[in-house]
Amino acid sequence: MNTRSLRFRLVAWHAGLLTAIFVLLAVLILLGLRHYLEADLRDTQARRAGQIADTLLANLKQTGPDFLAQEIESLYAPEANDRFIRISRQDGQVLYVSGPPKDQSFDSTGLAAAAPAPVPARKVKLPGNITLLIATRPFLAPSGDRYLVEVGAPTTPMDTMLEQLLTLLGIGLPLVVLVGIGGGYLLVGRALAPVDQISRKAERITQHNLGERLPVPRTADELERLSLSLNLMIQRIEDALLNSKRFVADASHELRTPLTVLRAELENLISSGHLTLELREAVGSVLEEVDRLGRIVEQLFALSRLDAGEARAEWVSFDLAELAATTADQMGLLAKDKGIAVSCDANRRVPVKGDRARLKQVVVNLLDNAIKYTPEHGVIQLRVAAINGRAVLEVSDSGIGIPREAVPHIFDRFYRVDQARTRDAGGAGLGLSIVRSICAAHGAEVDVESDVGSGSRFRIRLPLANGEKSP
Amino acid sequence: MRLLLVEDEKKVADVLARGLRAERFAVDVAYDGVSGWELASSVDYDLIVLDLMLPGLDGTELLRRLRHKGSNAAVLVLTARDATRDKVENFEAGADDYLTKPFAFAELLVRIKALLRRPPAGRDHVLRVADLEVDRLGQQVRRAGKRIELTAKEYALLEYLASHAGRVLSRTMIIEHVWDESFEGLTNIVDVYVRHLREKVDEPFERKLIRTVRGAGYCLTDENEA
Repeated sequence: MNTRSLRFRLVAWHAGLLTAIFVLLAVLILLGLRHYLEADLRDTQARRAGQIADTLLANLKQTGPDFLAQEIESLYAPEANDRFIRISRQDGQVLYVSGPPKDQSFDSTGLAAAAPAPVPARKVKLPGNITLLIATRPFLAPSGDRYLVEVGAPTTPMDTMLEQLLTLLGIGLPLVVLVGIGGGYLLVGRALAPVDQISRKAERITQHNLGERLPVPRTADELERLSLSLNLMIQRIEDALLNSKRFVADASHELRTPLTVLRAELENLISSGHLTLELREAVGSVLEEVDRLGRIVEQLFALSRLDAGEARAEWVSFDLAELAATTADQMGLLAKDKGIAVSCDANRRVPVKGDRARLKQVVVNLLDNAIKYTPEHGVIQLRVAAINGRAVLEVSDSGIGIPREAVPHIFDRFYRVDQARTRDAGGAGLGLSIVRSICAAHGAEVDVESDVGSGSRFRIRLPLANGEKSP
Repeated sequence: MRLLLVEDEKKVADVLARGLRAERFAVDVAYDGVSGWELASSVDYDLIVLDLMLPGLDGTELLRRLRHKGSNAAVLVLTARDATRDKVENFEAGADDYLTKPFAFAELLVRIKALLRRPPAGRDHVLRVADLEVDRLGQQVRRAGKRIELTAKEYALLEYLASHAGRVLSRTMIIEHVWDESFEGLTNIVDVYVRHLREKVDEPFERKLIRTVRGAGYCLTDENEA
């Protein structure tokens, strides 16, 4: 799972906040309840101590300790009610002390005597991990005797109750958080689904299908606005690209007329026969450049027409293997001239559908490139085969190769790997751009693998003609 | 032979007219569609060189009117547009040939002569240039009576040069004729083939027939260099 994704982070925040609030609430409830229960217990004990003091100790001189014990037993039944009651005089003599409770829930026999300056209430630990909450009440009898009444009860019922609540909260908290996470995940997922669709679509939009648009979720929210603005941006990019393509088309178009004039004038000049040999050389040299200029203009124009999505009127079905073999044969002398051996592996029919002349140009340009950049006595291999339902054409050479950093750019217009090595070749750096544009127009992919010093391999994959199966 | 040149780019029109006059054609020039139509409908031309994009009256429309009127003049359409549908449209309107700018003047000339059915080397099926004989029927080549073996492409190249003997043929023209348009931009293939052709046709003999005209192309001629 991508921990940086918006969905994950939103849900994590959501779960974190939920947990924090829940824990805080639980702590507050537990503390508050505990405080309340303790105060209640303490008040009860203090009240009893007060009752005992006020009603029983005031007349202790007349009634005597036995009566006191009887009264306490009958009124409070400390053993039966899990209570601890102790009455002592200031000199330390204990007048009454309750026995152990009937259910043996605590053992108060070892309980120390109250401190000389007793606090109103105290907690005492007893063996067996029992805590007694004891309220103390000093009493000054009319006779002048000072007594101390201690009434206590174990906190066990209160503790048990708090423990049970804690258990309940402990089970409830993870459950609530889990439900929160699940619900949040689903909810955020639903809210973010359009984002996923938009980015998927956006990834598929390239300069070749700029006419397509992102899906717009009709939710009237931020996402709808975002996709609308992105679509507007794509529109502007498309317009800009269209403008630049139109500019190239217009420019190459406009250059044709002056080039025609230039060429015709120079040709007239050369054929007039009035020129000295020197002048004829010069005019010839200019003509060669005019020729080159003309070729560049032609190629640019061809490129812009390909980009504009030429009509498929000239598409026919034909055998790519045959086309490649014929072309290799026609160019054989170029290779032979450099002592390069061209082997052609294109024996099986590979039916494709497309513009035959344009696809032939692809083969011509690739072979020409291979011949140009393969040193004398090198090897060029041309392979055409049907592989996995695609027609695959491969041109590999034992040439100088393409540096790694240049590979992504070799299909760019006017790109040259380095100026020196293309100077003799006289190319303008448009051959491979044309290859790519023709391939794009045919729904074909073109890729290249290359190692400096050992050669390059260009591979083109285009759809097989319908109804034909690969062998 | 009387030609009409309808071209709105004055400089193009003038330089073409000058070149054509140098080839001893009678040339009238119209700089817009309307005056072009006036001339074409009143004078009986052998051939009309027609630019497509014209002010006043569109070239295609002029062509349509001309054919509607029943004119038999050969029409060579000249334009910077070369999209396929334009070609089809103009051939349907009655154009005989089509040339896109920028073109070599030599090519215009070759095409005009072809349209006027005046092949430069005559109708004979054997082309002769000095002591070189190209037999178009048997596809055989002899020089000074000796048979020369050529590959198919070498033969096609030599035949093309021989059938326009004395004319300079540009590399582009040679490629389009001997190979096809896919090889455009690959002009060195012409140079390589010409070199091989020379090895067979010229080198064993003292008199060289294949001439390189710098910047323009190649020419098969027995004339001495001027």
